[in-house]
Amino acid sequence: MAKSDYDRQNPAFYALLAVLIFMSVGPIALMFINSFKLDVDIISGTSGLLFLPTIQNYETALCDVLPYELDHLDFCSLKFGGAFINSLIIALISTVLTLVIGCMAAYALVRFRFIGRDTASLTTLMVRMVPPAVLLVPVFGLWNNEFCIDKATLVGGFIRDVFGGRGDVCLAGTHSGIILIYIAMNLPFVIWILQSFIVQVPYSLEEAARVDGATPFQVFFKVVLPLIKPGLAAAAIFTFRIAWNEYLLASALSDRNTKTVPILIVNNMSEFNVEWGVIMATGMLLAIPPIIFTLLASRQIITGMTAGAVKG
Amino acid sequence: MQRATLNRMTPYAFMAPAAIVMVIALLYPLLYMVWGSFRDWNPAQTIGETEFVGFKNYITLFYDPAFRESLSVTLRFAVIVVSVEMVIGVGLALLLDRNIRGMSVLRTLFILPMMIAPVVVGLMWRYMYHPTVGTFNRWLKSIGLEGVDWLGQNALMSVIIADIWQWTPFIFILALAALQSLPRSALEAARIDGATPWQQIWHIKIPLMMPVLIVTCLLRLIDAFKVLEVILVMTEGGPGLSTEILALRISRTATEFRELGVAAAMSNYLLILLLILTAAMFAYTKIQEAREARIRAAAEEDM
Amino acid sequence: MLKTLKLAAAGMAVSATALMANPYADYEGTTLIVNFPAHPHYNAVMKILPEFTKETGIEVEVDQLPYLKMRERQTLELAQDEGEYDLIAYVVFSKADYVYADQLENLAKYFMNPKLADPNYDSSDLIDGYVYNIGFAGGDKGYLEGPTGSLFGIPYGSETSILGYRKDIFEKHGLEVPETYDEMLEIACKIPELEPGMGGLSSRAASGHHASHAFLLHLAPLGGRVFDDQWNPIVNNEAGVAAANALKTIVDCGPEGAASFGFGEALGSFLNGDTAMFLDTTVVAGQIDDPSKSKVVGNVGWAMHPMGVRRGSQTGGFGIGIPSNAENKEAAFLLMQWLTSKHGDKLVALAGGNPSRFSTHADADVNAKFPHMATFGEALKHADPDWRPIIPVWGKINADLGTTLSKVLTEDLDIQVALDGVAERTRAVMEEAGYYTWQ
Repeated sequence: MAKSDYDRQNPAFYALLAVLIFMSVGPIALMFINSFKLDVDIISGTSGLLFLPTIQNYETALCDVLPYELDHLDFCSLKFGGAFINSLIIALISTVLTLVIGCMAAYALVRFRFIGRDTASLTTLMVRMVPPAVLLVPVFGLWNNEFCIDKATLVGGFIRDVFGGRGDVCLAGTHSGIILIYIAMNLPFVIWILQSFIVQVPYSLEEAARVDGATPFQVFFKVVLPLIKPGLAAAAIFTFRIAWNEYLLASALSDRNTKTVPILIVNNMSEFNVEWGVIMATGMLLAIPPIIFTLLASRQIITGMTAGAVKG
Repeated sequence: MQRATLNRMTPYAFMAPAAIVMVIALLYPLLYMVWGSFRDWNPAQTIGETEFVGFKNYITLFYDPAFRESLSVTLRFAVIVVSVEMVIGVGLALLLDRNIRGMSVLRTLFILPMMIAPVVVGLMWRYMYHPTVGTFNRWLKSIGLEGVDWLGQNALMSVIIADIWQWTPFIFILALAALQSLPRSALEAARIDGATPWQQIWHIKIPLMMPVLIVTCLLRLIDAFKVLEVILVMTEGGPGLSTEILALRISRTATEFRELGVAAAMSNYLLILLLILTAAMFAYTKIQEAREARIRAAAEEDM
Repeated sequence: MLKTLKLAAAGMAVSATALMANPYADYEGTTLIVNFPAHPHYNAVMKILPEFTKETGIEVEVDQLPYLKMRERQTLELAQDEGEYDLIAYVVFSKADYVYADQLENLAKYFMNPKLADPNYDSSDLIDGYVYNIGFAGGDKGYLEGPTGSLFGIPYGSETSILGYRKDIFEKHGLEVPETYDEMLEIACKIPELEPGMGGLSSRAASGHHASHAFLLHLAPLGGRVFDDQWNPIVNNEAGVAAANALKTIVDCGPEGAASFGFGEALGSFLNGDTAMFLDTTVVAGQIDDPSKSKVVGNVGWAMHPMGVRRGSQTGGFGIGIPSNAENKEAAFLLMQWLTSKHGDKLVALAGGNPSRFSTHADADVNAKFPHMATFGEALKHADPDWRPIIPVWGKINADLGTTLSKVLTEDLDIQVALDGVAERTRAVMEEAGYYTWQ
């Protein structure tokens, strides 16, 4: 049987495929279409594709970053642009840091035998199952009250002078606070995925480098890292996805200047005025980065997903 | 000599950043939570100002019908979601494990739902379930049927459907990967022995996939307890407590009822529950592995 | 840094134009950070804030949040030694928590300060029921008017409940606008027969706060209370059962999916023409007249909240107060005074907000723009300040009441059983909070 030609299937099979694709993409497409409709059109249900597309919803959502004034708005209530930048800062920094820290740890767990290795490995696995909701209470308490620098101290005073604000300097309400908890949340997963990639790096390569006089750190950065690029890509996408999409902890930790997009969307589903068009537009804007990643790097995503489970 | 010390220190140097972060931001908070769960604590207080109340929070919760209901909703949700997703996901994998054109496109489209933010998934479905303007009821009415009260009387089911939509592809893709890495020889042997497709599936493919399926199932189960945003956006736990899963109840107790101590105790209950589940799954995996080794040995003898 | 400089420059420009005695002069260039809800009234406030900055040179930065979120945020902010917010809007039921925890400034010292208090403020023009309901604490029952009470906030965004009905539908079928509860319930259930596909009355009913709110809305006019004078829960008495029955009837005869409606959905279905009546807060009037949101523009008439055994519409809405940990308290008071002055109240009414003064409700310009304003003013007089208890533990009781009622609506739980359960649990909560110490 030659691998290159594809098996012929009966038409029912293709029909099934079409239905499956429709089911998985349909809701997203629906949201995409609705984000170009006015609320009146969405509610009155001029169904299907017969409507006049408008970018008004996107304009409303992005009113704080648009260079021009909008006629249909009296004031800009939705500060989407700012939230988008917060989301980017938080997601990108936490992804980079998680990867660096995570692959160092994964490397140590795979390559070295040391006291406490099994404990470390087991702990990593255990904390994977901790749901974010469980972290809500302690993180809220610690970040707001314990992880603080008194503003009367040198460092605290310095931060207040430079960045303004009032009261003691606490982790809550800062980008760093949210980034820290995201790194901690994602680390176990990243370590787990990367372990399975590092195992596959031939040990002989490392030996060779070491014989040439490389230090363990040089071996790690020059030999191992380049070889596990696909794993890094997969881990990066997953970490980014979680940091980008997370709502609960961010909403407990952020203040008015560090709100992320998911918080903005949930807030905007306020009870007085369900503005479907604008909500769908913000939802679409939030979904675009992950969608782009998926389309560009689906192979890495699938590798990453299967790496942990299938290869053990 | 110095070099040797350096080498001995290396693993710790590599582990240190991860260890520090996890201790500060995961383990310490978890201990802090355990400590807090024995206190009468509202969000306006620092933990130092709170009063120690012993096991009161745990006992109150144990007899609290709302908590019990929410626990049962959580378990029902997790069990239904995971079993339905496993059946559909594995079924689809078996069905689509063929050498066809465009498989990679198909897989790409399938993973889209799980990459999208839960908040967005929630709002998409909330719109589609809307009693009057929603897609489903509009469609039902256009073909002359009665609309369904999705997020009212059938809220739990609706929430489950949304989760199935989002996460079945995960199982599908893992199961497909497992299928494609099965030893061809065993399948060939079965075919030559004249096994029907059903027999191949039941006696060869599924048992061989079992280790992967169990891990997959465990992963999904853990994730099912993490679900919160989708439900928050769709129903906020209502109507009644019908979709108020524990994660949501914890967050409401902390923010709406302002009882951090009780919320911490609830978090602990949830953690214990997850621990038991994980441990049980691990034990099961070990037993399965032993059995599978026997099956494999038997299969080799047959050949 | 740059921002402060810019503000200072802006401040100077304003001060140059107003060299006369200017009470705002000392505060020019200050930036106030205020916390307002995402709510139609405060959306109207957003429109008039630039006017305040123009007149006074005080900048205002608004953090607008959905009101439950707003409360969470405030809980946290007010507990700090130094808070971010200079002025906050608070929901009526937060009054108890904030005053009890000593987190709101007593306003006496500001109204006594001749440099701050405007002699033309005319406090007797403020609708008194709301001042007592929203601003007062320390009087009867701790949260009502009384000789021992004092002022901690000023009502801003006063709402009461009102009945909106579809004039066209009522005319078409020769229906009378309901005056009493019996009439209203009868019509509510007649509508689906007369107009297939249309619901009678849209009410919120979703689990939690919504269901509880809808229930309380009927409880007061039907003669009920949550507590008697000794803090004994009496929510399960005859009036309570009647109110729950009314809610159930309304939901059963309501539009499709009514049992899961939050406020937004309930209003949405009225705006979309899916129901013939709407009984809830006055805040919706602006949207009903907005053609981009509403399909019933011009077809809606307004009537008083129907009578049960008494008139008793809700007192709701928001108050504004100054947190004890605020940085710019005096400037915040100036903003507060400006917003609730006759001038500010009229401006906000014209921008679509809910005025809090008698004079604004009678104002010719306002009535010309919003003809319903006179009816609303009349309704405000019948507002019942005690329709819902404002005590610190209310949040918990409210949540329990709301989820239990939702079960009545969706799972056919027996009403008496349900309310007995609520009463029992409420008693336990009250007991624990120490309300029976004196019995």
